[in-house]
Formats: sequence, structure tokens, C-alpha cells
Amino acid sequence: MNKILILLTLAICASIIFFFPPIKGLGDLAKIIFFHVPTAWVAVIAFFASAFFAAKFLRTFNFSFDKLSARAARLGFIFVLLSTISGAIFSKLTWGAYWNWDPRQTTIFVLILIYGAYLTLRAAVSDEKVRAKVSAVYSLLSVLTVPFLVFIIPRMYFSLHPSPVLNSAGKIEMDSIVLIVLIAAVVDATLIFVQLMRREIS
Amino acid sequence: MKLSNSRFEQIAAIVRKDFVIGLRRRATFAAMMMFALTAVASLSLSTGGIFVEAKFLAALLWVVIFFAASAGISGTFDDEAQAGTLPTLKLYADAQAILFGKMIYVLLSLVALTIFILPIFLILFDVAVENFFLLLATILLGLIGIAAAGTLTAALTTSATVKGGLFPILLFPITLPIFLPAISLTELSFTGGAFDSSSLVVMVAFDLILVTAASILYDYL
Repeated sequence: MNKILILLTLAICASIIFFFPPIKGLGDLAKIIFFHVPTAWVAVIAFFASAFFAAKFLRTFNFSFDKLSARAARLGFIFVLLSTISGAIFSKLTWGAYWNWDPRQTTIFVLILIYGAYLTLRAAVSDEKVRAKVSAVYSLLSVLTVPFLVFIIPRMYFSLHPSPVLNSAGKIEMDSIVLIVLIAAVVDATLIFVQLMRREIS
Repeated sequence: MKLSNSRFEQIAAIVRKDFVIGLRRRATFAAMMMFALTAVASLSLSTGGIFVEAKFLAALLWVVIFFAASAGISGTFDDEAQAGTLPTLKLYADAQAILFGKMIYVLLSLVALTIFILPIFLILFDVAVENFFLLLATILLGLIGIAAAGTLTAALTTSATVKGGLFPILLFPITLPIFLPAISLTELSFTGGAFDSSSLVVMVAFDLILVTAASILYDYL
């Protein structure tokens, strides 16, 4: 499985770097979008995975679920950082500023804060049983905010979200290939996440 | 101690107990009030004489409330945790009564905080409030949310060995859906603009969700 994933990742990277023409008006660096979308996707998946395992832990008090929940949060934290940084670079290329509290930027920043708070809480509690309970409760509590933020934030701030930009730059002109590669990249990133989650468990 | 039967009596007893302890010791109250006063004074001093926009004032007010509340309520369960009396308390009252008793106590102390700091804030920044009812409604709804999320968060952090700053870190992302509409409604109450009632509905809905979630999740601690 690992070998297949490495090959798939290399193939996707190669096709993005060598075969795609630069996105019109944005230059080669704008191809970072193929890195940004999958990492953002995994960051959100990992968030819900962490909450899911937290719920399973509270139901069963089986500590392997606590470990899974913690690992999903740690991986999610890494992915959310990668996604935020690559998104900021893309934002600089398309909007001219690294950061402007666009709704999506706000939501992803809240995700960073939640992951950071969760991991800080885990680090701050030394008793293993208490830590498992406390962090599971926090994980579930923080999940509740997500639908509200998705609903509230776009109403409070004006969005420049780049889907139209991406469409006019790439998707419409060479839609099927770009879409296929993007979907492949998302699948690849998800599989990498799953593989990292499964490590050491068995 | 008489064993109270109805849950309402248990909740009332816990609120009374915490209130008596709070009055007897005063340190927590005093710290919370002085924190808020210091924050408002430093903000007002540093912006002295400059015209501050209503939107910015609204944000400042909520920043002060958030951090003063954090300073005041982070130790909600510390007395019991330090003395090791939480298990004993759970013999007298059930877990839900303890949670709601604490939550009501926290809400009351936050209301006291606001009664103290809001007039000072309005005077020092020379704010003309156009819609006073909206301001009070927004603050009350915001405080309910902070009390619900804060009580559960305080229960989470009592067992932490490293406490400095942990509480606001945990509380902020959870209460963000409260702050965003609260700040815009507070701004509208200062300027007197027409307000969107759906923001109030969002706050009420999120308050209910936080109270329900705190009630469900507290049983697992």
C-alpha cells in the first residue's frame, strides 16, 4: 500500500509540474492549488474523524479509540497548517494579499485554533484516563461550532473565494484533465491520511 | 446537610453554596472586576482623544468581557478539585444539578461583571447607545453562551497540570459563533441601525446547543 501511494503521489506531482501549462496570468506557482485543495480536504476529514473516535471512546472507554482520536487531531493539525500556508500563497497570487479574513480563511483559522487548543489540552493533562475523557469531550464540543461558523461567517464577511478564478483560469479550458488530476490528488491525500492513521494500530 | 430531593432544590443549594464561598473569599470576584477595569482603562488611555468607530468599540467591549470572564470563571471547579470534595458533592446532588448550579452561578457572576464594567466602558469611551434594549439582550445572550461553554471548559481544565492561559485558548473557538453576531449586534445598538433579527436567533440557537451539549457531555467526565 505504501509503495502504491508513493508512486501515485509522484505521478500526480509529475503530471502537475511537467504536463500542465501554467495557469493563465498566475504563473507556475499557482499550481500550488493542487496541493492546497487536497490538504484542506484532509484537514476537515481529520477533524470529523477525531470527533468520531472521541465519541466512540466515550461510548466504550476503549483507549485505542482515544489514541486514534489524538492521532487524527495531530495529523489534522499538520494538514491544516499546510493547507493554510499554501492557501495564503495562492491568495497572494490571485488577490494580492496573503491574508484578508475571507470566510474560508476565517473558517480554516478557527480550525487551526481548535486543533491547537485540543493538542494543548492533551499536553496539559498528565493523567492518562482523565486526558482521554477531557480531550474527547472537548473534541465533541468543538465539532458543534462548525455548522454555525459555516452558516454565520459568510453572512458577516464578503467573500472573494477563488472558485470562479480557478474556473476561468483552468477548469473551463481544460476541465476534464484538471478535474481528474485534482480528484486524484484529493483521493491520494485521503489515502495517505488513512495509511498514517492505520500505522502502528495493528 | 439535608439531602435535597428535587433537582431544583439541589441546583439552588449549589448556587447558594458557591455564592457564599465567593463572597467569603472575594478574590475571584475582585480579580475578575479588576481585570475588566484594567483592560478598559488601558484601552481607553491608549486611544484617548481619538475617535473610535462603533464597530471597533463593539469588538473591544467583547474582548474585555471575554478575557475578564476567562479570568473569573476558569477556576469554577478548582475549590472542589483542590479539596477533593467533588465526589462528596456528587453524593448530595446528582451531576446534572452540579453542572447547572455552577452554570447559573457563573452566569450570575458574569452579569455582575457586566453591570460593573458596562457603564464604565460607555462613559470612558463616550459611547451614545441608540438601542439600549438591543445592547442588553445581546449581552445577556452572549453571557449565557459564555457561561454554558465556560462551565464545561472549567470542568475540563481543573485536571490540567499546566493551567496558565489554557482556559481562554479552549473557550475561544467554541464561543466564536456567539462573538461574531454579538459584535455586529452591539455595533448596531451603538449606531442605531436597523438590525437583522436572524443574528439574535443564531445566538439563541447556539446558546441552547451549548447548554444541551454541556449537559450531555458533563456526564462523561
